Amino acid sequence: MSDWKSYEPTLIPNIEGMHQLDTYRKHGGYEALHSVLHDSKKWPDPSSVVQEVKDANIRGRGGAGFNAGLKWSFMPPADGGPRYLACNGDESEPGTFKDRKIFEYNPFLFIEGATIAAYAMSITTIYVYIRGEYRSWIKKMEKAVSDAYDAGLLGKNIMGSTFSVDLVLHSGAGAYICGEETSLLESLEGKRGYPRVKPPFPAQRGLWGRPTTINNIETLSNVPGVIRNGATWFKSIGAETHPGPILYGISGHVNRPGVYELPSGMPVMTLIEEVAQGVKDGKKLKAIIPGGSSTPILPAKDLENLTMDADALRGAGSMMGTAGMVVMDEDTDIVETLWRISKFYHHESCGQCTPCREGTGWLEKILEKVVKGEGTSRDLDLLLDITSQMEGRTICALADAAAWPVRYTISRFREEFEARCKPSLVPVG
Amino acid sequence: MAKKGSKNTATNPPTSYSFTKEQLKEIEALKAKYPEVQAVTLPVLWIAQDSFGHVNPDVQALVAKTLDLPESHVHGVAEFYTQYFKEPKGKHVLDVCTCLSCGLSGGVDIVRHLEKKLGINVGETTADGQFTLQEAECLGACGYAPMMQITNDVYVNHLTPEKVDKVLDQLISGSTPDFESIAMPLVDSTHTTKRGGSNE
Amino acid sequence: MAEIVIDGKSYSFEGKPKLLDFILSKDKEVPFFCYHPSMSAPANCRMCMVKVGQYVKNRDTGEYELDEHGERQIRWFPKLQTSCNMDMMDDMIVHTHETDNLVKRAHKDTLEMILINHPLDCPICDQAGECPLQIQTYKYGPEGSRFEVKKQHKPKHVQLGPRVTLDAERCINCTRCTRFTDEISQSHQLTITRRGDKNHPTTAPGTVFDDPYSMNTIDLCPVGALTSTDFRFKARVWEMNQTPGLDITNGKGVNVDLWTRDNLVLRITPRHNPHVNDYWMTDKGRDAIQLYNENRLSTPSLRLHPKDKDLVMTSWDNTLQTIQEIVESTDSKQILSLGSPYASVEENAAWAHFSQTILKQKPSYTAHVEKGAGDGFLLVDDQAPNTAGCDLLGLKKRTKAALKKAVSESQVIFSLHDDYIERGWITKEDLKGKTWIYFGTNLTQIANAATLTVPITCAAEHTASYINVDQRIQRTYPAKETKYTNRRLDLEMSEGRLDRFGTKFDHWVNEDNKIDCKPLWEIVSDLFSLWGQTITYRHGRDVLESLNQTITALDGITYQAMDDHRGVLLSTSEPQEAST
Ligand SMILES: Cc1cc2nc3c(=O)[nH]c(=O)nc-3n(C[C@H](O)[C@H](O)[C@H](O)COP(=O)(O)O)c2cc1C
Ligand code: SF4
Ligand code: SF4
Ligand code: FES
Ligand code: FES
Repeated sequence: MSDWKSYEPTLIPNIEGMHQLDTYRKHGGYEALHSVLHDSKKWPDPSSVVQEVKDANIRGRGGAGFNAGLKWSFMPPADGGPRYLACNGDESEPGTFKDRKIFEYNPFLFIEGATIAAYAMSITTIYVYIRGEYRSWIKKMEKAVSDAYDAGLLGKNIMGSTFSVDLVLHSGAGAYICGEETSLLESLEGKRGYPRVKPPFPAQRGLWGRPTTINNIETLSNVPGVIRNGATWFKSIGAETHPGPILYGISGHVNRPGVYELPSGMPVMTLIEEVAQGVKDGKKLKAIIPGGSSTPILPAKDLENLTMDADALRGAGSMMGTAGMVVMDEDTDIVETLWRISKFYHHESCGQCTPCREGTGWLEKILEKVVKGEGTSRDLDLLLDITSQMEGRTICALADAAAWPVRYTISRFREEFEARCKPSLVPVG
Repeated sequence: MAKKGSKNTATNPPTSYSFTKEQLKEIEALKAKYPEVQAVTLPVLWIAQDSFGHVNPDVQALVAKTLDLPESHVHGVAEFYTQYFKEPKGKHVLDVCTCLSCGLSGGVDIVRHLEKKLGINVGETTADGQFTLQEAECLGACGYAPMMQITNDVYVNHLTPEKVDKVLDQLISGSTPDFESIAMPLVDSTHTTKRGGSNE
Repeated sequence: MAEIVIDGKSYSFEGKPKLLDFILSKDKEVPFFCYHPSMSAPANCRMCMVKVGQYVKNRDTGEYELDEHGERQIRWFPKLQTSCNMDMMDDMIVHTHETDNLVKRAHKDTLEMILINHPLDCPICDQAGECPLQIQTYKYGPEGSRFEVKKQHKPKHVQLGPRVTLDAERCINCTRCTRFTDEISQSHQLTITRRGDKNHPTTAPGTVFDDPYSMNTIDLCPVGALTSTDFRFKARVWEMNQTPGLDITNGKGVNVDLWTRDNLVLRITPRHNPHVNDYWMTDKGRDAIQLYNENRLSTPSLRLHPKDKDLVMTSWDNTLQTIQEIVESTDSKQILSLGSPYASVEENAAWAHFSQTILKQKPSYTAHVEKGAGDGFLLVDDQAPNTAGCDLLGLKKRTKAALKKAVSESQVIFSLHDDYIERGWITKEDLKGKTWIYFGTNLTQIANAATLTVPITCAAEHTASYINVDQRIQRTYPAKETKYTNRRLDLEMSEGRLDRFGTKFDHWVNEDNKIDCKPLWEIVSDLFSLWGQTITYRHGRDVLESLNQTITALDGITYQAMDDHRGVLLSTSEPQEAST
């Protein structure tokens, strides 16, 4: 992929003042919603919108990569009762800091996308859940939402149509787990953020027992483009099986960290070397974590020719996650880094499920021991064992997210862990 | 089964904390946005914390009483979420991120620097009640590491010891750092950035 | 009719049962902690794992797809599933730990996890011996622990309320206790606090867990995290006998188990009866241990002269003779005979028999109803366990005023159980100059003021039936011995509990704490013989059998029928005497 330099951003275009409604509209904003509401030839009914989004194959940008339109199609037929769209702006997976860019630079794009989604699924209220730490961005969103209401773009009879929907901003208060979609619903209902057991799935019984769809902020922000330019246009961007623009968040040991909008399927090395302008201080690259802390670490040697899309990353033994890439240079203490990741999941486990509540703490405590040089080779095997006792055994995927980094970091960097361990007390030979 | 045991809501209504008329109006407006009153538990705890500086058990009881919810519910919720202060803290709470990217980029050094500068350990409050120092997990600013958040509000990014000192001086002098709008770098660095967020 | 194959055996089923429930109902086992049939299923303990799949059917033809060996193809769920919240579906295939090693491994893994932060203090834990965690660990747990780092510490011996104590380190976070206060008692007094491995139940600060049903959480708690503040450290489970009984502190007729050691009732726990109390009971009902153990009337006592302050003990023979003398020297119009809603059907019936035959009058009784005391759940306004029984026997109901009047107009009063003085219906003064013969179990105020006290067996010492406010007749079993009962001869008495958890243990050997009392029907039989009549009620059953003939509603009602159907709902078509 060499044409990335000429890629024209669509989520966050390089236009001054996009966060203001008039600028946004001047540049084609709200054309998509208008067409959906008024062009009955193109969009005869809400399900035609769902179909277009499904065809575009917008794979969820919250981490799981599920086709958004397909998810929308799971909503049962409208029965006149309330139906909800919950927008996931919890953004708490370490390494991830992209959705806030949309709040800051192009809030109406997201609001328009959510409104189109609401129309497509006959949603009655949109709740936007934003992590509590993002107070500054919540304030920005409050302004945008109130401007949208004033302009008749939210609320009753939107753009002069018969369609009405409300949008409510809801602040979290410090809990990573509330990014998990059913925990988010519990938190919205004012409770402790305990993920729900599935089934029933949110499309059947979501907020207050009513049909609900949950989508990530970036996912929804892709919707206006798809409606305006068509599914085919969207699918022409980036990787075939994971198309569309991606907000890549690059952090760690690079010269120019930040969030970059580029097509999916970008070569990892291009992102590091060219986009982020290389590893800091001229050091060598050691490894990356491609898409947020839960995605398995990849050593530098595996990165050549690797592209950032779900399939390629799975092939390499990792995942796309949130496309929040953490770059580590040659001097990185991998053992300590893994301990930090484990500490995070221990801190964030909601504590419902036995394997996660107990396992996350156990992992962290053993790793702490290893970091201090008090671990043994046996501890490393035990760590691996614990991960298999956690994975796939819990209500939500946090336990998996905590297990994977441990399993793959140890298996891919075992020598570094061994080097940190106490010499074995068993005499050799 | 029908109504049963005695509901023990706000048995000891706090005397020292109360919501103002305006706040009560704000709470009523919030309630209208959700089909059930319980949904405003988090927002109302926020209103309370912004107004009293914390949500200690007395404040929790006030929230329960105001919303006619069980005290245990409000307590369980307040204890689940880390941003709620369950006890009074310093005037400025410094949450320094030491998670993944910040950890890689010197977040711990910033904590050590602050410990030395403030003469306290992580988790403690200075004797004059000005500062509480805390370690935080990822705050969603990984590209701008190391960073800290000030009293659940503004983020200060790209920290260096010098920048930290300046921020402390600023806080002591009574002002808070401005929101730092970090321009999105252009992919091709030969162009200039026009996009910008609002600073209002 | 749908079909399911569990461990190679097929079963048919209807509706949508939950898999765990169904497996348990087939006398098979799957270990579990958080699940409770009467509450929501959060599936948080992750213990009840099974492997689940479904036969694959061709979408078009509806035929089963076959593999190369001609066997039906199975599509397995990619992960193990918790059975407690799994809806059963047609064509499901299930492997439990009996037939799948991964399931076995999952049980072991989960137990290892549960135990890493558990204090492992079984030797000093009240729950030991009846602890699901202990039992499951022995059956399915790991051979040893690999946990060599620091345990998470949590609050210990926290007094959550007047009756319940918490040791949060033992807690396995199953949320049964908080679900109980949210879903069953609805007091909402408990919540889980903190997050992750710091989680534990608590009340809101400054509030107390005084829910009138609080102690059910002790029974529900699958470990020793919630214990009874009074019972803590008093007895080990395996030292006690467990006998079915009834809650006699209320008209609801809650089914209970009485736990005894050395002829003392040490604790009372609810016994499941879906028709009456489900799995629950009131905290108040557990206080009945005091009625059974303390302040008991033992050995008949007599006030020699009206002015004497104290009563003196006397023999049973003398007691009976004294009664005969009193009756024979008094005009029957001067005698008042009272039954009691606190006494069983059999006691009231035997007494009524004697009263009608010898005293020439049907006994009357007073109901003890406290308006507003009921809560629509297990507490009812009726404070006595057998008001409906008195009505069914046709005893005349007296109001407070009618009782006072009847007492004032009588010279000799026979009464049963009720403490009219304590209740404030009559005063000690009203007894002046009267001869009051009291058949009772406890040293009540009326016993203190009586002329003659005759100790009778309590509900923990006899077999007898009680009719609750909903017209359900249920019965008790002797849980403790009296001076005269010999459990080995009395077929109603178990020889020791068939220990639900392992050992057969018999603790009826101690001679202490046996009360010198007799069942009222035996006393009545003895009195009859003084009058030369041979009516022998040796056992509650004899009384019940005689009622089978005389009361239509009781036709065919036997203890066996009550046992088989968890009590029998009586048809209330029987015309009952109007109350005065
Ligand atoms: C532990 C955990 C944390 C998560 N955190 C987030 C989050 O912060 N933001 C987000 O959008 N999705 C998060 N997810 C994924 C959501 O559960 C859900 O898949 C997503 O919001 C769906 O939106 P999408 O299909 O548009 O991606 C998380 C999932 C798990 C298991
Ligand atoms: S896996 Fe962990 S975070 Fe998810 S529900 Fe279970 S305990 Fe909570
Ligand atoms: S105290 Fe007992 S019942 Fe309550 S959550 Fe803990 S283990 Fe479960
Ligand atoms: S790691 Fe510090 S903000 Fe994400
Ligand atoms: S019993 Fe099924 S998960 Fe606890």
